[in-house]
Amino acid sequence: MKRWSSVWIMASLLALAAGLLAPSAAAAQGTATVRGTVTDSATGRPIADVQVLLTGTTRAALTNATGQYTLQNVTPGTMTVRTQMLGYAPSERQITARAGDTTVVDISLRATAVQLSQVVVVGYGTQNRSQVTGAVATVTGADVANTPIASMDAALQGKAPGVQITQNSGDPGNGITVRVRGAASVSASNQPLYVIDGVPMQSEDFAQLGPNAQGLSAVSGLDPNEIESITVLKDAASAAIYGSRGSNGVVMITTKRGRQGSTRFSVDAYTGWQSAAKKLSLMNAQQYITYMDSGAANDGYAPDELPFDASQAATNTDWQSAIFRTAPVSNVHLAISGGSDRMTYSVGGSYFDQQGIVMGSAYKRASARVNLDFDATNRLRFSTSLGLTHEIDDRVTGDNSLDGVVTNAIGMQPFRPIYQSDGSFADRSSNGLKYSNPVAIASLWNLPTTTDRVIGNMKADFTFTPHLVLTGRVGADVLNLHELQWQSPLVGNTYAAGAGGVSKDGYHTGDKYVLESYLTYSRGSEAASNISLVGGASLEYNKDHLNFVRGEGFPSPQFHYVENAATITSFDGIPAEHNLESYFARANYTYGDRYLLSASLRADGSSRFGANNRWGVFPAISAGWVISEEPFMGDFGRHLGTLKLRASYGVTGNQAIPNYASLGTFTSATYGTTAGIAPGNFANPDLKWESTKELDAGLDWLPFGGRLSIIADYYHKMTSNLLVNRPIPATSGFTTYFSNVGNVLNRGVELEISSTNIASSSAGGFNWETQFNISANHNEVTNLYDDQPFGDNANFRPISHVAMGQPIGEFYVLHFTGVNPQTGDAVYEDVNGDGSITSADRVNAGSPQPKFFGGLGNTFSWKGFELHGFLEFSQGAKVFNLMRIFADDGGYHYDNKFTYALNAWKKPGDITNEPRASFDGTSGGDEISSRFIEDGSYVRVQDITLSWRLPTSLTRLPNAKIYVSGRNLHTFTNYTGYDPDVNSNGSDSNIALGTDYYAYPRARTITVGVSSSW
Amino acid sequence: MVTRDSDSHDFPSRMTRIMRLRILIPALLLVAAAGCDSPLEVTPGGSIPEATAINDGPSAEAALVGAYASLRSLDYYGQTLPTLPELSSDNAEEEGTRTENAEADDHKLHADNGFVADMWAAMYDGINRANEILTRVPDIKGIDDAERNEILGEAYFLRALHYHNLVKLFGGVPIRTQPASSLADAASVTRASVADVYKQILSDLDQAQQLITNTDDTRRASRGAVFALRSRVLLYQQDWAGAVAAADSVEAMGYSLAPNYADLFDAEGTDTPEDIFRVIFTAQDYNNIGYYYDEPDFGIYEVAPTVDLMQAFDPNMDPNDVTTYAPTDLRGQWSIQLDGDTPYGAKFRASAGTEDFHVIRLAEVMLTKAEALARLNQLTEAVAEYDPIRVRAGLTPDTLGTTVIDTTGNVLDTQDEVIARILDERRKEFAFEGDRWPDLVRTGLATTVLGISPDQTLYPIPQREIDVTPGLTQNPGY
Repeated sequence: MKRWSSVWIMASLLALAAGLLAPSAAAAQGTATVRGTVTDSATGRPIADVQVLLTGTTRAALTNATGQYTLQNVTPGTMTVRTQMLGYAPSERQITARAGDTTVVDISLRATAVQLSQVVVVGYGTQNRSQVTGAVATVTGADVANTPIASMDAALQGKAPGVQITQNSGDPGNGITVRVRGAASVSASNQPLYVIDGVPMQSEDFAQLGPNAQGLSAVSGLDPNEIESITVLKDAASAAIYGSRGSNGVVMITTKRGRQGSTRFSVDAYTGWQSAAKKLSLMNAQQYITYMDSGAANDGYAPDELPFDASQAATNTDWQSAIFRTAPVSNVHLAISGGSDRMTYSVGGSYFDQQGIVMGSAYKRASARVNLDFDATNRLRFSTSLGLTHEIDDRVTGDNSLDGVVTNAIGMQPFRPIYQSDGSFADRSSNGLKYSNPVAIASLWNLPTTTDRVIGNMKADFTFTPHLVLTGRVGADVLNLHELQWQSPLVGNTYAAGAGGVSKDGYHTGDKYVLESYLTYSRGSEAASNISLVGGASLEYNKDHLNFVRGEGFPSPQFHYVENAATITSFDGIPAEHNLESYFARANYTYGDRYLLSASLRADGSSRFGANNRWGVFPAISAGWVISEEPFMGDFGRHLGTLKLRASYGVTGNQAIPNYASLGTFTSATYGTTAGIAPGNFANPDLKWESTKELDAGLDWLPFGGRLSIIADYYHKMTSNLLVNRPIPATSGFTTYFSNVGNVLNRGVELEISSTNIASSSAGGFNWETQFNISANHNEVTNLYDDQPFGDNANFRPISHVAMGQPIGEFYVLHFTGVNPQTGDAVYEDVNGDGSITSADRVNAGSPQPKFFGGLGNTFSWKGFELHGFLEFSQGAKVFNLMRIFADDGGYHYDNKFTYALNAWKKPGDITNEPRASFDGTSGGDEISSRFIEDGSYVRVQDITLSWRLPTSLTRLPNAKIYVSGRNLHTFTNYTGYDPDVNSNGSDSNIALGTDYYAYPRARTITVGVSSSW
Repeated sequence: MVTRDSDSHDFPSRMTRIMRLRILIPALLLVAAAGCDSPLEVTPGGSIPEATAINDGPSAEAALVGAYASLRSLDYYGQTLPTLPELSSDNAEEEGTRTENAEADDHKLHADNGFVADMWAAMYDGINRANEILTRVPDIKGIDDAERNEILGEAYFLRALHYHNLVKLFGGVPIRTQPASSLADAASVTRASVADVYKQILSDLDQAQQLITNTDDTRRASRGAVFALRSRVLLYQQDWAGAVAAADSVEAMGYSLAPNYADLFDAEGTDTPEDIFRVIFTAQDYNNIGYYYDEPDFGIYEVAPTVDLMQAFDPNMDPNDVTTYAPTDLRGQWSIQLDGDTPYGAKFRASAGTEDFHVIRLAEVMLTKAEALARLNQLTEAVAEYDPIRVRAGLTPDTLGTTVIDTTGNVLDTQDEVIARILDERRKEFAFEGDRWPDLVRTGLATTVLGISPDQTLYPIPQREIDVTPGLTQNPGY
């Protein structure tokens, strides 16, 4: 069993090699030519760039500016000519081509709303949107191109229904949380599988240093300008072809490829300015001193014992302004593409350069991509996709650290100076700073993180007959991440100052190799019944290796590297691997373009699972019924517009857990300089994949002749055998154990509407298009081991938990009921009525998951002008503003406070929600409670772009466009922190969600840019 | 498939190509099948299978090293055990940002306090490591009896130490003497009584006493360490005569006080004649104790000394002006320093956290014996027992009936005064080492000195533990 996949793949590769040796059919037999013109059915004008394919072959051509195409060296016979073009309904024509003849096939295309005419990329193949029976969302490359952010996943926010994006924090290159149809996992990863040009890519966070508690994003290496389209496989039936990795949805990324025709150059460039979208309303020196002194007075301090003196307000530092800056961002992307009918190419490169709005942070990326397609023979087509990336991410210490730049800028007392009188940085010893100086940290410490990455694959398609194609593919994703941190001793009152400087140096390489091959059989009959079958096998090898060394004690601050350290204080070096062996098959059957049926099966064997449960099987079935095409609908059907009903059911898995969680092990435990061993992991040979069973029902409707497109879905997704790193009695010597327990339900609805509100019949007239999507997801834990809830620490504080009947990550804290008008003390609900407030009085206090979210985009165009606006919204999520445990604690800590603390209770009879100031914490205001939970609902003006296509009279460049764009212009929200779209626990966190612990704020960005192609 | 496709075309040299392929294909298939053997069977790079981990002399010795390594966890002697109880006592107060510490300082520990839960887990991790040895090593082959007995004896000592640390902070706790065989087994534990835990501790110490032969390595359990721990345990049990007897055994072994108090906290862990049992810390496996206390140099000043502790060292200081702190007590000079007007704990000064931590040292044995003698009303002997410690600290020795002990001119003469004097010496000798809180609790002084309720004198059983262990009950008040 184990070796079959390798045997099959090797045989396939050999068959393809043999195909290379096989003679060209064209040489021996006469060939035919197919040519014609493609026009718009409404205007009669030619359409350029339409893809014309001969189905069942790899042959395709692209129309030129006059709408003409030519396909030469066509194997004679009966065949189907198909066209694909965004914005037009696809068309198919049966033709017969004779040897030596030229067959003219002119085609007229009907314009439609965009949504239903797309080619969607599914696992191991593509489908026309009209044939799709599952739930998939598509985003075009144009939707994400020229977005002034590092990571392409962030650009998806609000664009795809059912896909919830959380930015977590605003630092460049930061890891993004992507949840497709809600989170199902408690301990295994909830991030979707990313598949780029058919090959699954690594999307784990490889960073060893987490100075922000925000991981890096493994998809940040992809320049959005390289993307042709993104398809998100949402329901289990669509994702089941990826079996044990399909539960979190699959994001299929297709990069731009060359098209037949003359060489085409394109340039995209923009430059912009970023600034903090919001500053927190914190106290100034005068307010702070008054407030803190009142807290001391409230606690019985005599006037001469008060901690601060009004004269100290002589210095007033706005620490936020001290670390924020206006930061530039720019990108240049150049590409050349073109090709003949036997070979096409697309070669491009880009350079993205972003400084962070917080001093010291920056992100740069240089990337190159070469995509080639060529016919080695008439039957053998090779495609290569190769992307190279070099990223440098300068991260600043943040969030979960005493030396966080943003953290300390918020926490620092406003009457402390930034600089000493001699110009050096102020510190605790000289100036009484309670925390390390954030300006000094941002200036003197650094953490450049370099990522070099190659993602590439080579694919060969061998056409045995027009109906049978063998595809073989070898793919690799090789990532090398290098982190280098320097903590200068010149920043006073830090560990590094006492240690004489700290330097860290770590490499982490992650390699993924994929070998796969599959046969595709497709046959259409004259009677309009079509069948296509795909079957194959794949092998994936994942290996990673890390090294780390940390040294401290440097002869002088000029030395930054570990070699010069006096002492090595920590080191590491370990390989790891996990492998996956898979078999898959899918059948699609359509009858009369009315009845669509699809079924698939995948078997996955994973090295991560226990010996007793190594193989999982993941079936799926889906069906579609284009009811509007039924003869009995008659004229009504035509007036109704195309209406397709869909239903699907499938089973997917999740295997994203640590590599060796099933094994019982001993690990090393050094004591002094002697090596020892100690128990490492509690064995679970029964450990297996998490299983998600999902039912989806949806409809695709194009009323008004396709000017309106409506896609609606309902889903019910039950995840069972939850992979839980479950707490076990620590008296056993182990605290957690990976096991399969519990169920999580996600169910919801999604609606996507695209509308051409105004379509001018003449070129240059006024057009107005609207895209709207909204999704609602209900997340609920329906079963747990012995119904035992368990919590997770958010930034060291236990505020989130997993409990029966609650959404994952429900906040579980004391219930703040108000402020006692007589005493000014915070009042908490004594749930168990025992007369004292303890952790037993905690309640479910709100969910970090939104009730609904989505986006609304409008595009207006007139002559060469286009105005695009995009709103993104999220409603109902709660945010735990965790920084308030210091910044709104009544004065128990010395941190600066939010100005709303000035509304505190002052005298008996005051009615307020702010407990009295209390220097000793006697008011109870410093308890972690629901007082700090805020409404995280927001509507964000995500993007407004005005562009002008330059008339050719002004420039020699055709298709030249200049634009000005504003991103994250305004956020309507009641949230008092920087941004409600936040999670200080990063993209890997499953339970601790929606907490804001000094998160790096989001930038507001204005860019100007130019795009041109010729 | 391949050949059929080729056959369909007329090509001059096809025979040779096909023949080449016919040889090549099986050859490549063989290579492929061999090269891709069992991709699903992976071996972890950094660990070994549990079943065969301890199976001979060297691996048993390695397991013992690993059992000692449990002590250096930051959740245990590396940070939490010295610092969290110190916050619970009158010695220290929270100055930093950790809520876990603030809860200890304020005597409102929550049952979900992460430091408490992690410390509990670290102690039981140590117990499990000892249990693995005590369960497996008796049966392994290829090890001589002397080595086997030494390993077993030291594991018994470690288990006794862990259980005593648990019982003094939490009260009666579950007793595990074998590794958990299954999750059901793990979840089946219930709390033993305080008396039963002490019975287990003394039984383990009996075993250790019989088996251990080590007398010189103070970083491993030695005969001296066994008796020293026994004297401590018996003091907690108020078996005064037993405590004295065990202390006598220690004193007969030739230990003596380190001439300089500061030598005990040497960054390199240089030996002193006072050492009995220490936890090793290195630059790689460091302690965070100094990091928590230090203010100006390398620390985060998470925990600060109280004025009350400063006054214990320097009764003459002005409590409203800490800059008047100028103790003659050498321990006070070493343990607390001023950075401008900010006092901070300066006992642990190695920025890399490399001081070896004294689990038990001769000074404690002497103070234990002195207290036990005083409780037995042998006051002269008691004073004589602790006076060398005062002398080492640069103080004048006490004399019963002569030494003036307060500003009213009261002289040291009653049993209560001698006991109070000894407890005060303990407080100063072991300040910042985590001993003050258990001393206050065992003597019943916690409620009066700290003004807390008796319920607050025990730490909460971690909530996460109660959640997953059906038979586990919480301490009152949580």
